[in-house]
Amino acid sequence: MIAQDFAYLAAGSLEEAVAALGADPGTSRAVGGGTWVIPECNRGECSPRLLVDLRTAGLDGIRPGDGSIAVGATCTYADLIDSALVARQLPLLHRMATGITGGRQIQNQGTVGGSAVAARPQSDVPAVITAMRATAVVRGLAGERRIPADELFTGAMQSALRPGEVLAALEFPVATERTTVGYHKLKRSAGSWPIATAAAQLTWDEGGRVSAATLVLGGVAETPVPVDVDDLLVGQSTLGEAMAEVASRASAAVTRPWTDELAPGSYRAAVAGPVAQRALAGAARRDNREGGNDGAGL
Amino acid sequence: MEQVSDTLVPLTLTIDGVHRTEAVDRRSLLVEALRDDFGATAPKTGCATGDCGACTCRVDGAVVKTCLQLAVAAQGSDITTISGLAPRGELGPVQQAFWDEQAFQCGFCLSGMVLAAEDLLSRNPEPTDEEIRWAISGNLCRCTGYETIVAAVRTAAERLGAADS
Amino acid sequence: MDGGGLVVSHDDSAAALAQGSAYSGSSVRRHDGDRYLQGHIAYSDDLRLPGMSHAVLVLSPLAHARIVAIDTEAAQARPGVLAVLTGADLAAEVGPIPNAMDPAGVGGRDVALRVLPVSKVVYAGQPVVAVVAETRAAALEAAALVHVDYEALPHVLDAEAAMAEGAPLLYEEWGTNIMLAGTAGTGSFEDVRQTAFGVVEGELRTGRGAPAPMEPRCYVADWDVQTSRLTWHGTTQAPHPLRHSIASFLGVRERQVRVVAPPVGGSFGYKNFGHPEEYLVCALSRIVGRPVKWVEDRTNTLRYGSRDMRLRYRAAFGADGRVSGVTCHMLANHGAAAATGAFGMALAGGLALPSGYAVDVFEAEYQVVVTNKGPYSPMRPFGKEASALLMETVMERVAEETGLDPFEVRRRNWVRSDQFPYATSTGLLLDSGNYEGLLDKVLEDFDLEGTRAEHARLREEGRYLGIGLGFEVLPEGADIPGALIGASDISTVRMDPSGDVTVLTGVTSPGNGNDTAIMQIVADRLGVSMDSVSIVQGDTDICPFGFGNVSSRGVLTGGGSAALAADDVADKLRRVAAGMLHCDDPGRIRLGDGMARVEGEPEQALPISAVAGALYTVGYIVAPDVEPTLEATRTFKMHNIRHQPDDGGQFNLFSTFSNAVYVSVVEVDVATGLVEVLRHVMVHDCGIMINPRFVVGQFTGGVVTGLGAALGEEILHAADGSLSTSGFKTYLLPRANDVPAFEIAHQVTPSPFTPLGTKGAGEGGVACSMASVLNAVNDAIRPLGASVNELPISPHRVLASLQEVDR
Repeated sequence: MIAQDFAYLAAGSLEEAVAALGADPGTSRAVGGGTWVIPECNRGECSPRLLVDLRTAGLDGIRPGDGSIAVGATCTYADLIDSALVARQLPLLHRMATGITGGRQIQNQGTVGGSAVAARPQSDVPAVITAMRATAVVRGLAGERRIPADELFTGAMQSALRPGEVLAALEFPVATERTTVGYHKLKRSAGSWPIATAAAQLTWDEGGRVSAATLVLGGVAETPVPVDVDDLLVGQSTLGEAMAEVASRASAAVTRPWTDELAPGSYRAAVAGPVAQRALAGAARRDNREGGNDGAGL
Repeated sequence: MEQVSDTLVPLTLTIDGVHRTEAVDRRSLLVEALRDDFGATAPKTGCATGDCGACTCRVDGAVVKTCLQLAVAAQGSDITTISGLAPRGELGPVQQAFWDEQAFQCGFCLSGMVLAAEDLLSRNPEPTDEEIRWAISGNLCRCTGYETIVAAVRTAAERLGAADS
Repeated sequence: MDGGGLVVSHDDSAAALAQGSAYSGSSVRRHDGDRYLQGHIAYSDDLRLPGMSHAVLVLSPLAHARIVAIDTEAAQARPGVLAVLTGADLAAEVGPIPNAMDPAGVGGRDVALRVLPVSKVVYAGQPVVAVVAETRAAALEAAALVHVDYEALPHVLDAEAAMAEGAPLLYEEWGTNIMLAGTAGTGSFEDVRQTAFGVVEGELRTGRGAPAPMEPRCYVADWDVQTSRLTWHGTTQAPHPLRHSIASFLGVRERQVRVVAPPVGGSFGYKNFGHPEEYLVCALSRIVGRPVKWVEDRTNTLRYGSRDMRLRYRAAFGADGRVSGVTCHMLANHGAAAATGAFGMALAGGLALPSGYAVDVFEAEYQVVVTNKGPYSPMRPFGKEASALLMETVMERVAEETGLDPFEVRRRNWVRSDQFPYATSTGLLLDSGNYEGLLDKVLEDFDLEGTRAEHARLREEGRYLGIGLGFEVLPEGADIPGALIGASDISTVRMDPSGDVTVLTGVTSPGNGNDTAIMQIVADRLGVSMDSVSIVQGDTDICPFGFGNVSSRGVLTGGGSAALAADDVADKLRRVAAGMLHCDDPGRIRLGDGMARVEGEPEQALPISAVAGALYTVGYIVAPDVEPTLEATRTFKMHNIRHQPDDGGQFNLFSTFSNAVYVSVVEVDVATGLVEVLRHVMVHDCGIMINPRFVVGQFTGGVVTGLGAALGEEILHAADGSLSTSGFKTYLLPRANDVPAFEIAHQVTPSPFTPLGTKGAGEGGVACSMASVLNAVNDAIRPLGASVNELPISPHRVLASLQEVDR
């Protein structure tokens, strides 16, 4: 039972949601899947006067565009898992979605858009959408803005959305057929937040050499940590020799590590290297296999 | 209830096949409305943070944790609890297997656990043990050590497979 | 993950019970499983009493503070509010919470705990004000308007710091934070040290763990003004002791209180009795004249901890690996004081030493210290994990020092099977056992040499796997002097004219199936089918007195007393049947399959239901000399308890000693410190098993609790004393995909002291798993020169240990 009373609006459209949230942005809040906002309200950690439900606003489509795919803000992880289009053209996103823990229930309820807006350091989503160079399409009373993923996360639990703005969709550039992905998630157990994640994308030329490489760490700092590995990997056909340098660069990139109940910052900085290596090694296997729940121990 | 009626709203749900409308405090979580207002007490509140899975119900065909949803957001929904899996007192195959394999002790997780297992088998009729463990990983059990739950889901899958062939 | 699956062998139990046992020894399904599976079981939070009101508690945000003033005016004025009460309001109405076990009884310090504090709070999250309202929503709204003015005091979270000079005192009247200190053991370590081949010493630490049953606590008290009687419904393991305790608290006669315990959603010690809210609802109901309900949230369950110990040890040993003497200093961080008797975990942990090892000289010293963490709570295996961890660490260290095989070191130190009953150096009388047999049985399916060779090969590839042994001996069936925890219980067995049987018993079931097991015993004794037997537990107005479920007693004493009562009824049935079947000797009547038969004359038979009906309806004709009741109430009492100290000042509080050997195989990811349990091979011995699958269920549950304690679960506090691990995202209960499939077998060594040869089996698996995993991890990283001695073995601790070596 949420202690403080509030009004509830099941928004019939994005416009309705924006109008409602924009009317009094300081005291209203948008709800997507509810997996974060509802417990927070229930614990009394936030007391909005208005909750605007976005799930009724028609933002749950997965729409292919020109070289990109727009994933609606209220698409659930299950929507992504079940989408052949996402599996084929956004393999890293698909890979991440299949490894979302909490059971099928959370995959049915949690949304990639909601997780992006929540901007929790330990969440899977920020690093993955950063690695994928997604663009957040947000709408406010002042109109539409497009925020590149690498500008979306401004701090722990802070996104670049302004009060009253709503995330409408995330637009992802489609992976080429020569792109392979790797994702490694280090968790203490199935029920724990990720401690450290690494999302990797490699693009290969016709000769089987890396033509572009992306590596982004998650969970290790307030916001995703990109690691520049292009100069190490481009032109290589195997990654073996570069791996030691990948690890030291990943480790060095974690300059202000995140600390919480599950692991001290020193630990996160220490495992950044191996986690990065494993994600890249996964991408180098070139098969975009589903990894599910790799990395979980207890 | 009279003094606080200003927060009551009518909520219509179909629960285990029965269509009803009740006055519900709009601040209620769905699990609270089910239990307190509709008397459907099979789903339990074990954490209210979406971690334990004891409140799991099938809502409009998809399993969800009903503590993560406002009751008012479920307006008009069709909801199945563990009671709805045995409509005439006849246990369904997953329920039967849970009994046969001693797959529960205190039973508090049972409603959610059985619904998670049902959902798995509806999507994957021949799961491996690893897939079973993954599928019930959103549901906590403190009594059994999970061993017999995995056995029960395996047994249910085998029986369902045998019945189909 | 190994696909070994559940291997259960239990033929020995069935064979031992075979004579006349249609049900006992076999894994009958639980009798009411269909009701559970239809969601038809009403737990405490499912109860809806007419006129029920709701209590919400205002909690202290501070870990240690004086209560300066409380303003309840705004809350009182809210619509729907029935009462807003403070500790001062209630102190005038009701007494302090009676202790479930009194620390003063064992030389410790007691504090009069109030349901709500009057002058100061001693932990963050402590209830301070109670708000009762028509609905939970109204109570929540009003609670938010209560203003408490605190004067913050310095707080202390660490046990060592709490003992330091000048540490903030929780209970100033004590003049110290030490609640209890004492010793156990025999002989002088100094003497054996001088002649020893070597001495090892070290330290172990266990993290604070929560019992965390899936069902939080929930209480509904209903004071009836017309009858001046309180009916209490709720989550409790011990209805009769709680009734006694509530009556004392309210200052009423025991008969004015009825305690009803619906099925509980797990308890593990947490739901014994002594929590403030159990009593608070009683006072609130008497004040508002309405039923009052309080239900706990998950965060609150995680404020209650167990373990949190520092163990320091020294062990003297010979070149042959024989351990001649051990010292143990146990420091337990109790957190805030509690009336639950949780301090007893340190006592039990000390007494359970030196486990099942024949160590003649043993000096154990324990200290229980209060701090500004949440209160200690009883939790299985009630401190005995400390003794297992300590002795299993000692054995590993001795093996390392002597160069002997660690498994062999155990063999050389175990109490031999021909030495039972065996008096340990802490005074316990171990009933029976065959510890070497356990290890032999583990090794039947575990290729030790092959596994070690494989691990050596994998090390060449940079993979670090290890093997660890765990061994536990669990003192159960406790009888605590001065407390309502006894090694006896009472059952009534009653047969209706239709032949249906009702068992009424004072033990309760935490969901483990002991009710079904008791029905199995009774059905066998009476020769009737299971479906003609029913059982009633958990209602003090209906059931005979009993101690509920603590210390693994359900089948031990509940089953024992039910067996005796059933035997009395069976005797009477035989006498009636003998008359009806024209047989001179009732001893020749056999009861079975629902029939009474004359031995050797199969055609001379009657349905037992007809015999019962005849006694009730035509008793003057068929059995004129038989008292016409088919009902008996009997008590079963364990006889090997000794409260009078012997010449050495030792006593024995426990009656049975189940035991187990586990071997774990783990892999340590040395890049990240993550530990994965690959195999967990277990052999248990809890004597005769009435229902082997229920027993296995108890063990697998305990094993996973142990794996959680070993690898994941830890209650943490922020520096300000607030709880950091407030839910299951940070307090890491194991999930199904965190644990491997288990390999389980049994050895059956009956207890000579119980009529059925059973031993308590409710706490198994926790301690053994903690020890075997710790030892396996250390076996894996020992080649790197690293070791861990703190549980949970979280990845950052492992990595820190490995980095320590690198430096």
